[in-house]
Amino acid sequence: MGELPELAGLPPAERSVCLGLGIERIRTGREADAVGLAEHAAHRALAAAGLTAQDADALIVVESRAPQTLLSSEATRLQELLGSRDALTFTVGGLGCVSLTPALLTARGLLAADPELEHVLVAHGSTPATQGRYRHPVTVNGDGGGALVLSRTGSVRLLDIVQETNGKYWDLFQVAFRDLPSDSWRERCQDPATYSFQLAVETRNRLTALLDGLLTRHGMTRRDVAGYITQNLSSGSFGFTEESLGVHVLPACRDNLRELGHLGPNDVFLNLYTALERKELAEGDRAVLINVSPVAAWSLLLVEIGAGESTQ
Amino acid sequence: MNSTIGEITEFLTVALRQDIRPEDDYFALGLADSLFALELVTFVEERFRLTVEVEDLDLENFRTAVGVAGFVARKTAGAGGAAEPADVHEPAAAEPAPEFTTDYEPLR
Repeated sequence: MGELPELAGLPPAERSVCLGLGIERIRTGREADAVGLAEHAAHRALAAAGLTAQDADALIVVESRAPQTLLSSEATRLQELLGSRDALTFTVGGLGCVSLTPALLTARGLLAADPELEHVLVAHGSTPATQGRYRHPVTVNGDGGGALVLSRTGSVRLLDIVQETNGKYWDLFQVAFRDLPSDSWRERCQDPATYSFQLAVETRNRLTALLDGLLTRHGMTRRDVAGYITQNLSSGSFGFTEESLGVHVLPACRDNLRELGHLGPNDVFLNLYTALERKELAEGDRAVLINVSPVAAWSLLLVEIGAGESTQ
Repeated sequence: MNSTIGEITEFLTVALRQDIRPEDDYFALGLADSLFALELVTFVEERFRLTVEVEDLDLENFRTAVGVAGFVARKTAGAGGAAEPADVHEPAAAEPAPEFTTDYEPLR
């Protein structure tokens, strides 16, 4: 983090916040843009599921933060790169990190609506929209690709999805770019007090209500959840979620934050599969994946480890 | 009211690790982050036995000790001094994907 280019130019207070986020390093992939990162991840996910790109019946791309060009399509570019010629292909987005959720909702809808459809590939490449990587006072963006294969059977079952939004905050964070050279683009919070107070407390209230509702309709309580997983923003954000919900976040989240920074919509499943590799979750366990975006959107996913309708 | 302001100021001084006066705007001073916001709202809810709803989240209610005391006075007066239960939101149950019909308007 000490080598972050914009660090030297930050005011002392912002620099102090940046260095206190709990992020020690990030990976930057200058050799691949967002679509390239998504492509690599998609190949890995397909291989792990024992599939090829031709087996994907649908390709849902979670939009990147900033496309390389306007008018062109990142979704069909990825389709071409993968060679998934027959895959129903499109992009979803609009909700920042929570944009993963509409992808999963859509995949669930496709699988429910068409019995002949077997595999839905969801992919996202995460790179910041700006040259700078620090989003004051929230996080530092790394680069990374993520992909999921959603099928009717597999090793992780996606049991339920809930999502809410509040358009009041639609431009709380923004990158102005019209008529500006790209090296002057900055991620800006237009009203830090609104972010750190109103949105924070609304997030506590929303997540609490969403979690209560989600668990109630599955006949569960917080104690029945083996692990809680959130996106990787900062160590403070983990503490915020833990205090808000009275839960503990799995250690995999803090470790991935420290080593990779924030990878947008890819964080929660990266953390889930890290937790599985490290045996922080076991067969039969249920976990809740928590995603929040300041646009503002809130989403919870309930997953169960074990064979059944699944992700890979 | 004065004792309420005193209690709130005392809490703020401990939470923010510096002397806070009743009129100090700790948001404008850059002392507040989201964890502090959570701590403040939890303190207000537990100490004064009320629930802070989304519609209460006007920053004016919380940016100074005097503002918080005023909010507490209004909130407890409105509730007859009693604690209010939190609203529990029930998300709609997941249902199978419905069949769709659409009206199609051709491009012209």
